[in-house]
Amino acid sequence: MNIIKGFATTFKHLLEEPVTLQYPEQMKPFNPRYKGRHHLRRYENGLEKCIGCSLCAAACPADAIWVEAAENTDEERYSPGERYAKTYEINMLRCIFCGYCEDACPTQAIELGHEHQLSFTDRRDAIFTKEMLIDTPVGKAEGTPRQVEPGVYTRSIPDMPDAK
Amino acid sequence: MVKIVIDGKDYEVPAGANLVDAAKNAAGNDIPVFCYHPKMEPVGMCRMCIVELGMEEIDRETKQPVLDDKGQPKVRWMPKLQTACTQKVTPGMHVRTATKLVEDARQNVIEFLLTSHPLDCPICDKGGECPLQNLTMAHGPGGSRMVFNDKLKLDKHVPLGDLIYLDEERCIQCARCVRFQDEIVGDDVLAFHERGRSLQIITNSDPGFDTYFSGNTTDICPVGALTTADFRFGARPWELTEVPSICPHDAAGSNISLSTRLDRDAGGKAVIKRVMPRQNEYVNEIWISDKTRFGHHFTRSEDRLLHPMLRRGDTLAPTTWKDVFARVAGDLKAAGSDVAVIAGGAITNEDLWELKQLAAGLGSERLGTWTPTYGGADLVAKVGVGKGTNLKDLGKGDAVLVIASDLEEEVPMWRLRLKQAQDRGAYLVVANARHTRLEDFATQKERNGKPVSGATIRYNVGEAAHVMHELKTRYPEIAEKLAGATNLVIVAGAEGLTLDGSKALMQAAANFLISSGHVGKANNGLMSPLPGANGMGLHYMGFTPENTQHIMANPPKVLIVAQAEPGEDDPTAAAWLSKVETVITLSLFPDKTTHYATYALPIQSFAERDGTFVNGERRVQRFYTAQGPMGEALPAWKIVAGMREALGQAKPKVSAAAVMLEISNKVPAFAGCTYKDLAKVEKQFPDVGGADLYYGGTAYDNKGGLGVQIATSADAGETPAVADVTLPAVPKAKDGELLLLPTTRLYNRSHVFKPSVLVHPRVLLPYVELNEADAHKLGVQPGDVVEIAFGDDTVRVRAGINGTPAGVAVLPRELADKATPFLPTSGTIKKVTEPVLA
Repeated sequence: MNIIKGFATTFKHLLEEPVTLQYPEQMKPFNPRYKGRHHLRRYENGLEKCIGCSLCAAACPADAIWVEAAENTDEERYSPGERYAKTYEINMLRCIFCGYCEDACPTQAIELGHEHQLSFTDRRDAIFTKEMLIDTPVGKAEGTPRQVEPGVYTRSIPDMPDAK
Repeated sequence: MVKIVIDGKDYEVPAGANLVDAAKNAAGNDIPVFCYHPKMEPVGMCRMCIVELGMEEIDRETKQPVLDDKGQPKVRWMPKLQTACTQKVTPGMHVRTATKLVEDARQNVIEFLLTSHPLDCPICDKGGECPLQNLTMAHGPGGSRMVFNDKLKLDKHVPLGDLIYLDEERCIQCARCVRFQDEIVGDDVLAFHERGRSLQIITNSDPGFDTYFSGNTTDICPVGALTTADFRFGARPWELTEVPSICPHDAAGSNISLSTRLDRDAGGKAVIKRVMPRQNEYVNEIWISDKTRFGHHFTRSEDRLLHPMLRRGDTLAPTTWKDVFARVAGDLKAAGSDVAVIAGGAITNEDLWELKQLAAGLGSERLGTWTPTYGGADLVAKVGVGKGTNLKDLGKGDAVLVIASDLEEEVPMWRLRLKQAQDRGAYLVVANARHTRLEDFATQKERNGKPVSGATIRYNVGEAAHVMHELKTRYPEIAEKLAGATNLVIVAGAEGLTLDGSKALMQAAANFLISSGHVGKANNGLMSPLPGANGMGLHYMGFTPENTQHIMANPPKVLIVAQAEPGEDDPTAAAWLSKVETVITLSLFPDKTTHYATYALPIQSFAERDGTFVNGERRVQRFYTAQGPMGEALPAWKIVAGMREALGQAKPKVSAAAVMLEISNKVPAFAGCTYKDLAKVEKQFPDVGGADLYYGGTAYDNKGGLGVQIATSADAGETPAVADVTLPAVPKAKDGELLLLPTTRLYNRSHVFKPSVLVHPRVLLPYVELNEADAHKLGVQPGDVVEIAFGDDTVRVRAGINGTPAGVAVLPRELADKATPFLPTSGTIKKVTEPVLA
């Protein structure tokens, strides 16, 4: 009797759709909050959100982030306000994808995306530079650095409406 | 001592102490402050330090405290909160610092200060070591009731000068910077403009923020309103590694902290990001001059000498250290004892010791100093300021004489501290052949509402020794006041003097001190602004200016020029350097001296190595390695040790510490000066650098050592007798010529200062200052280009007219791209009429 029960289960699953995904051709949709490889975001106007404050590096428990800042000018502007990140590097071998950098960022410049296929054949390749991390400007927005009208982008932190 | 009660507990505190200081020291109770600073007069502007204050009630008839039902003294509390910083402790004072009333008040003050503060801490150079940030976290409200868009939007990038930026939004109007410039420095160049919410800091000098101490305002600024251009966005404070060091530029030996961080532009190596003061109340308190703060860029300059170089024909070609040592040893052996050494003032004791050993091993004692202008270092060792001297202790009843020195330009830290001594009541006499900045203070009768006393003496160029020698007959009133002072310090320089003149002046000054009994005790004695950070070290190691004169007159076969630049300083250098067969230079930069070198060997700067300097007050101080070496540079002592090994003299020591250990055993003056002894620290007042940055500013507490002061022979009880003074011939101009008076400028075009590009706008173009009558005679207008001829040389500079003595032309050194005289010299000046490139 038991053997019939057993085979019944087997036949039932034989007719079901298989759960195995043919990775990497097929991929499961990601949870929106999945923490993958980082992105440095831009504003809609194409300026970089990152102001080089190094708070992500301070928050990083794995000491994976290296930031060096420099001063913006209206002739050569990267981000709004006075300060931008001249160097921005993340060592992906060190990173534990905890997302603390995201939490620490005052301008929401750094966000963890969904790319997770990070493998390297050389340790040096694991260091992602600013050029690799930063998004391309959306639509027709101009990239950085660029010349802007003086006196327009004076503030590093965008004006925040009061939370009521 | 008086008894006060803080938060219900009794404490004994010094009578008359400031309540904030007393609470901190006695009770460990950190009353929060913004505008109060322990080094300045309280003003009670920020209201952050408010506390509940009460006095014990005293019965008017019995004069006894009134007791309540429990037998405790009855306290009368003041109806409103009081600012603690404006209170002096009095017996029976009761203070409450932790009540709800006080806490609410503090919260309100913070909320008020934040109404228009931009909160851009992420991009602020102060963020992370900011008193406002810290106190907001400790005492502030969690949120704000103010509407964000109502915040004032002001200019965030106002250069107050070339070195300091003002962020108008961040300023909380505490006036610490204004008061620092006014009270402490005496250069009253900052001010408040407008009132209320429009109030802003402005500079009222041209050029802006014209002072040698501007950087200190960024340390004491309790917010990020004032930041330096040098450190602008250089790093976040928590990312920096602090390395204790000593300023390599002047005789004050200011204690500094080198903040280093790795840098991509420097190939991922550690570099100095900023220089901060390190507290040493004996030397520089918590201040440093702008040259100390901004003059560090030479340590990473691309122009440095990076490889050992060997002469091949007309050029120097790189070679290996091994090759150099072998060749040098050959040359030295061939020269026998015909070897001499000239060492500059910025070289360390370890280097000097190895050089001395090398020369001694070859049978030579010809050890000279560069520049050979300042005599009398031996007298500083005999009757210098006594052990335990602290210029901060000079005050009422004391006197200071500054003669033949422009301290503002030579040792700005001493000028700052002596000006403050005058503020405290000391009698300040400034004697010079021309006007100096310190003279302005000496002529004042009243400053900041307080009477000050001083006098000035003007003499003809070169007559400093005569004036000092005959002070009692020429200026009896001044001499009497000086001799009758409780403590007397004489600072004697060498401006306008030949070496003989300088020696005579030092002897005359020493005689004055000995005869009035002002030697052998703390805060009494002789000081000299010897050039370089280690002028006294040169003396203790046996290097003398007389030897240099001898070397110049009788060039040896082999000359080692150690961190000195005779080619840059001496117009006659070509004549005597080219007579030397083999010149070996230990240099930071390829310069006009290395033109004559057979071997040009790269040495490490102070930031790349360990070492010690002896400052003008004979304090041996130690500095530590902050960054990696440039190129193949080695510490000078290691290079010399390599030569000694190749000569078969001795095996090299393993470290600078081992060299110093040997020095402390072999040189009596350095007994008890091992690296371990030099690293000792003790608690100092005021406490700075702790968690309560709001109290003292961002000067660092001293973790690297306070140093050890070498005792004078007078301290040891051997007061030398008054010696004869041989008055030298006064330098005179030839008929129809002018006397060129070399002077020192703090900001110059020397190799170690040139790489500090930031300060370039403040470095004056080469100039000569003339007397009005002389200029008229020569037909020279201010701004004209003139050609100055001295000896066989000429130099072109711009002329200025500035009330110099008649027949004298002030020609500052190290400004022109050519060597100008370093001793008073006769010369002719003529206007250049053909068109010149500006």
